[in-house]
Amino acid sequence: MVKYSAITLDRQLCKSCGRCVASCHKQAIAIGLEVNQRSGMIPYEIDYELCNHCGLCMSACPEPWAITEGGHDLENPAARVRPAKPAGIQARRIPLPDLEPLVLKGNHASAVGALLAGCRHVFGYPITPSTEGAELLASLLPELEGVFLQSCSEIATVNHMYGAGGAGVPTMTFTSSPGFTLMLEGISYMVGAEVPGVFINVMRPGPGLGYIGPEQSDIKLCARGLGHGNTHAIVLAPSSPQEMLDLTMLAFELSFKYRNPVIVAADGYLGQITGRVTLPAEMIQPGLPGWAVRGDAEHKNNLNSSILQDWVELEKHNEHISGKYRAMERDEQLSSEFHTDGAETLIVACNIPARMAKAAVETLRREGHRIGLFQPLTIWPFPIDALAKLLVHINHILVVEASDGQLENELRLALNKAEIEGTRFDHLRHMGGILPDDAEIVRKMHSIMGIYA
Amino acid sequence: MSNTALFEHFDRHAGGVDLKGGSTHYCPGCGHGLAHKFIGEAIVDLGIEDRTVMVSPVGCAVFLFYYFDTANTQAAHGRAPAVALGHKLAHPESIVISYQGDGDLASIGLAEIIHAAQLGMPISVIFINNTIYGMTGGQMAPTTLMGQPSTTAPQGRTAMQGQPMKVAEMIAGLEGVVYVERTALFDQRNRKKTQKAIKKAIRLQMEGRGFSMVEIISECPVHWKMTPEESEEHVKNVVVEAFPLGVVKDEEREPWIAPRVPKFDADSMVSALGATEEKPPRFCSEFPSHLDPVDIAIKFAGAGGDGAQTAAILLTQAAINEGFDSTDIPSYGPESRGGTSYADVHVAKDEGLSPAAPTPHVLLAFNAPSLEKFASSVAENGIVIYDTSVISAPPDFPVGVKAYGVPCGDVAVKLGNKVVKNIVALGALQEATQLLTDESILTVLRSVLRRKPNLIEINEKAYAEGVRHVRESEPSIV
Ligand SMILES: Cc1ncc(C[n+]2csc(CCOP(=O)(O)OP(=O)(O)O)c2C)c(N)n1
Ligand code: SF4
Ligand code: SF4
Ligand code: SF4
Repeated sequence: MVKYSAITLDRQLCKSCGRCVASCHKQAIAIGLEVNQRSGMIPYEIDYELCNHCGLCMSACPEPWAITEGGHDLENPAARVRPAKPAGIQARRIPLPDLEPLVLKGNHASAVGALLAGCRHVFGYPITPSTEGAELLASLLPELEGVFLQSCSEIATVNHMYGAGGAGVPTMTFTSSPGFTLMLEGISYMVGAEVPGVFINVMRPGPGLGYIGPEQSDIKLCARGLGHGNTHAIVLAPSSPQEMLDLTMLAFELSFKYRNPVIVAADGYLGQITGRVTLPAEMIQPGLPGWAVRGDAEHKNNLNSSILQDWVELEKHNEHISGKYRAMERDEQLSSEFHTDGAETLIVACNIPARMAKAAVETLRREGHRIGLFQPLTIWPFPIDALAKLLVHINHILVVEASDGQLENELRLALNKAEIEGTRFDHLRHMGGILPDDAEIVRKMHSIMGIYA
Repeated sequence: MSNTALFEHFDRHAGGVDLKGGSTHYCPGCGHGLAHKFIGEAIVDLGIEDRTVMVSPVGCAVFLFYYFDTANTQAAHGRAPAVALGHKLAHPESIVISYQGDGDLASIGLAEIIHAAQLGMPISVIFINNTIYGMTGGQMAPTTLMGQPSTTAPQGRTAMQGQPMKVAEMIAGLEGVVYVERTALFDQRNRKKTQKAIKKAIRLQMEGRGFSMVEIISECPVHWKMTPEESEEHVKNVVVEAFPLGVVKDEEREPWIAPRVPKFDADSMVSALGATEEKPPRFCSEFPSHLDPVDIAIKFAGAGGDGAQTAAILLTQAAINEGFDSTDIPSYGPESRGGTSYADVHVAKDEGLSPAAPTPHVLLAFNAPSLEKFASSVAENGIVIYDTSVISAPPDFPVGVKAYGVPCGDVAVKLGNKVVKNIVALGALQEATQLLTDESILTVLRSVLRRKPNLIEINEKAYAEGVRHVRESEPSIV
């Protein structure tokens, strides 16, 4: 039996549970006689006449510092000194040779983008039409000494990402709408704990199981519905295999820049379409952020958590996160334009429908109509600054989308917040996997022009 | 030097103000505090204060990070093992301890714990079984005893709520698990065993042997509506009847996880991607504007197994090698297994836009239903190639369409391998359309087959046969 020099029962820290009593073979412990003024409890006391310093009561007491060897100094200032966060290691850009373009399907292009962005930790659960991305990574990552883990569900996936991303490594998943829905709880935790991670959501029709075609079904979810709380994430909207690669790389950069998840919202067609993909001039070797919860001496004091018991603190934390949203809204809007010069009507479309719209604009321009295309590359934040400039001269918009007005809602909200009024709207919508085709968009414009001639 | 990995001062507990800096948030007599102390001591004994990542659950132990002077992560309800795996995979040298209550682990998080255990990645799970939901105020847990009252089964658990779940036994049955023990805290002997078990579970992780778990029967005096002393008696006399204590599994296993150092050099990347600096040869002198000035649409249609998808992707690759833009979009998903199989290809001078081909310039049909379905959509003056091995009576085509019947299937069978019929068709398509050049397509074909060189000859023959059939036949023109 270990003998200790002196066993001290701290009267302030004793919670008066009595569990130490039975542990003492000397019957040396008993409840005291008076209430402790600081704790409001009646502490137990050791009778040092009987105590033989065996220490057994220490391991019976649930309170870490109520029974100790030699007493506990609650006011010891040295005990409150915590190591400072390490500075962190910057990511490095590594030059690539001048490589020939690859011919890749969209899901593969995005997977290649992830590798080039330095991602070596990938988690996923199969779902059409996104799965090829995970499959390619599962086959390539072993060569790069990376990890692909097929998790037991999308719920597990996002939590693997919370762990790995929380340890400071770039991490990602491929999923599609029903799976994305299951990830929302975890995304909310990642936003709250400020953990980066990239989600490729190759959207498909709902509601419910819907089916596997292309739809822009989750624009609302990505832009407004990322789980509970005041959540937002940058939502990138590619429209070609090339953009699947480029925007996936950008997603990793933004995710670490803001310590926030980033979503690449693609559609089923984009996942499946094969095309020419030019590789970048540089790839990324990730750094190691100072905040990483890593399990090494340097990062020992770090904590990833989204719980704050103090309401004032929690409001402050929300304000801090909102500050990041405002910065994203200010600095990260992205869009592209096609024939907007001198346009009288704008077609607004993103993802695959933007390609159909572009083809339609070609046709309409050839016919002499002054039509242009405005293509958001970020759905959130909506690229309102660029659009506002165009709307100085244009007051008619045709929104073309593969959803029940989810893109139009984002657009209208952005216009409303920017206090831009007087825009006339028309729309062309399809759902269920049907996409607006270019001929149909041309016909729609013809009929509108007939009406508004 | 402190002999525990618990903070000497709990700064995170309400700012460490006043007594909060020295005491936990747990109710008097709660078993969580003891479990914390034992883990804290084990961490120091094993010398892993700097390497440990503690994962807090949702439950009364949600604030575990107030106390542990280690790296900390707080997980969503039930997801701690999934989070723990993320940490372990990101940094295999870390020692990851997932701490969970019985609602967290055995109810909402059952899938995560079972799969983590089955996977067997070396992590350590400390499972606090107090037979109740503490944090939310005494509701029934999966581990609640028969007859035990809770706020959601106030008359006591009956068969209607099912039997208490024996988690240790269940987990022990899974392959990846090397060690499971159920322990208790009600007296000195059992506390000692708990201390030893915790230390062993962590040591097995340090040695890289596998998944380990300690189920600790813990007291929740508040929601059991007992004094702490009565709670200890209750565990001793009642709870351990339902949840027998002891080692449930203790298996010898060699360390099996080799830590990886991810590669970030350009050479490895280029090789993994199969990318090259070498420019592909070009054979076309100009864009085939005889078919369309800027953008040519080609539809491949057949049944699964016809090779329509392969033909489409070969053509896309060939067109891209020639410096044109090209896209290929297949019909995908379950519909492409065994059933129909379509692919739309565009070959564009500068930029392919709409990837679909609702009115293709060229249609390649491998069976009658596909030809029937798409014949009328072919663009004016378009070109159709169809397999006469299986299509005897072609339908009517739009005005000006040139239709070539080619016995692709029969030719392939004669060559000795029916799967090359798509290559026969590709030869026919090129000859009929003059879209690219023969060499454009054959170069891609050879490159795709570079790892199966014995197949090159039959494919080249198949291609040539397709070319010959078109060259020697007269198209029907509507
Ligand atoms: C998704 C979700 N569902 C429900 C809750 C509410 N909740 C918080 S703690 C808890 C039960 C925890 O019980 P247990 O795991 O047994 O831990 P104990 O509090 O007893 O230590 C529940 C249901 C939650 N936080 N999150
Ligand atoms: S040290 Fe031993 S003898 Fe002294 S009070 Fe504690 S249990 Fe009793
Ligand atoms: S076990 Fe600890 S908290 Fe409980 S009465 Fe004894 S000293 Fe006080
Ligand atoms: S409610 Fe129960 S489990 Fe929670 S702290 Fe109190 S005694 Fe412990």
